[in-house]
Amino acid sequence: MQHVALSSFDKERCGPFFDMLTDYFHQHHHSEQGNAEGYEELLYRVRRPYTPEMLDMIDVWMGLDKRDWREETQREVMLALYAIRYPDTLLLESFTDKARSDLRRLSAYLHFTNHTYAIWDEDTRMGLAKLGIEIPSTESADPFVYGAYVSAIELLKDVAPFTCFIEHDVPRQRLFQAALAAYGRE
Amino acid sequence: MADAEIVGDYTQNFEAWIDDFSEWQTRIGFDPSWLGDYRFDIKFDWDTAGDAIEFGDFEGRPKWERRMQVPQQTIRDAIVNMVSVQGDTEFASVEQQNHLLASAPTEYDRKSALRIMCEEQRHGWQMAYLLCTFFGEQGVREAAKLLERNAQEGTRILGSFNEPIDHWLDFFMFTHFIDRDGKYQLKMLSTSSFKPLAASMGPMLKEESFHLGTGANGLRRVVKQGVIPCELVQKYVNKWVSTGLDLFGTDDSSSAEWAYVYGVKGRYDEREAQQPADREHLNEASRDLYFQELRDEMRRISKVRKKGEPELYIPSDRFKRGIGKYAGKRYTVHGEEFEGDDAAWDEYLSAVLPSEEDEEKLVNEYMKEEWIQYREWKGD
Repeated sequence: MQHVALSSFDKERCGPFFDMLTDYFHQHHHSEQGNAEGYEELLYRVRRPYTPEMLDMIDVWMGLDKRDWREETQREVMLALYAIRYPDTLLLESFTDKARSDLRRLSAYLHFTNHTYAIWDEDTRMGLAKLGIEIPSTESADPFVYGAYVSAIELLKDVAPFTCFIEHDVPRQRLFQAALAAYGRE
Repeated sequence: MADAEIVGDYTQNFEAWIDDFSEWQTRIGFDPSWLGDYRFDIKFDWDTAGDAIEFGDFEGRPKWERRMQVPQQTIRDAIVNMVSVQGDTEFASVEQQNHLLASAPTEYDRKSALRIMCEEQRHGWQMAYLLCTFFGEQGVREAAKLLERNAQEGTRILGSFNEPIDHWLDFFMFTHFIDRDGKYQLKMLSTSSFKPLAASMGPMLKEESFHLGTGANGLRRVVKQGVIPCELVQKYVNKWVSTGLDLFGTDDSSSAEWAYVYGVKGRYDEREAQQPADREHLNEASRDLYFQELRDEMRRISKVRKKGEPELYIPSDRFKRGIGKYAGKRYTVHGEEFEGDDAAWDEYLSAVLPSEEDEEKLVNEYMKEEWIQYREWKGD
């Protein structure tokens, strides 16, 4: 999946997106939906050892319903948050169905605990598609689909000119993911 | 469009230097296990570096890709000097800061500082790689010196990099003011006639932006919290701005002029500038842009202060300068000539710069409280 999505990557096509990247980032990150202050607060509040309350705070910021998870599911996910190493996503394959059922939620947990994984977002996926990187739509945490998504954002970071990297202390993945979301909506 | 190359094979000279680097880490107390998965890659962005020399007397000719293509020894010396100074600052900052990891106000601050230190070390690696790979014996000697000079002993090349960074307020000041100077230096080298140097700058600039964001946001969080009075924060601003301005070098600098003539180091806005360069005042021009940026940034930071707190400002560029036409002269933070004897001057300085008493109060009083936004989430 990752190879299929990225092998046909056309970096020239990204030029207009890179030219406007900082504007796109501000459009999304500082929008009401982006809730920049809430996001930043989570960067500081979510810390080891992780607790269910921290996951609740992430759910609230994401606008997600309360988790309907059994104790074992919660433990399984929280252990994975410690164990996973960027950019690996194959660990998700070993999850039980319930834990894998919501990629948006899971990717947000990964983002706020590791700061390197990008939050899964439909607008961001659309933004990638506009750049020629087709990632299938999914609700459940398919490790290959999410892996392609994470790798695509990493690739964009790599090829983007330094002028795209604004002076901000948010993780660089957030900078690109938020910009892609605004671009995807446009 | 930029496409970064990551170098896979190292020369024997550089492999030997890596052994010295490991000893340096041990010597300064930086535990390599803190790096986690971080790798010190050598990265080049060849596309952005350009193919033709962009300014100076060699303008229009192909950029030099190897030492022997550089037409004069004086130019080679100038390049080696630029690379050595840049590398020196990278390792110095880690020596200055690594002891702060144990007292980070939050886990995110600790992670951010650690990431900054990893990236500064990578930048140092990149400069050592250039020296060892492209400049033969001369380069190998200079690369070794990058690890021999030491910030704690005050032997680093530039003044700011020998200043102690005793606490996290100094850390945020340093990353805001001194790393910002670093951004200027990197951008000025990004158009260099020596292509491997120019190609090194893009990836370094990408990483530097996070360092500046960490400094600016750290200061904003301190000011917003309002526990450390703005009057005291202002004293630290006064302390760091003058040393930051000094980093741009002397006025009417002939070495800056020669570097421009050789095409080795351009203006901060070299690719955007519409006017020809004033070659005799290159340092002043870059410093003015930096100074204006500092004022704009400080206005943004000051906006979040609590009601009743005085506005924060950037002191005059004449105040307490160690280099340039104002060096050694007495001016107030507002740029007026100071009138008074030595005792009055000392008294004035102790009122506008952090005194021992201020340091004591900062560390043992204010920093015992919730002195920075989100501090309450740090576990003990």
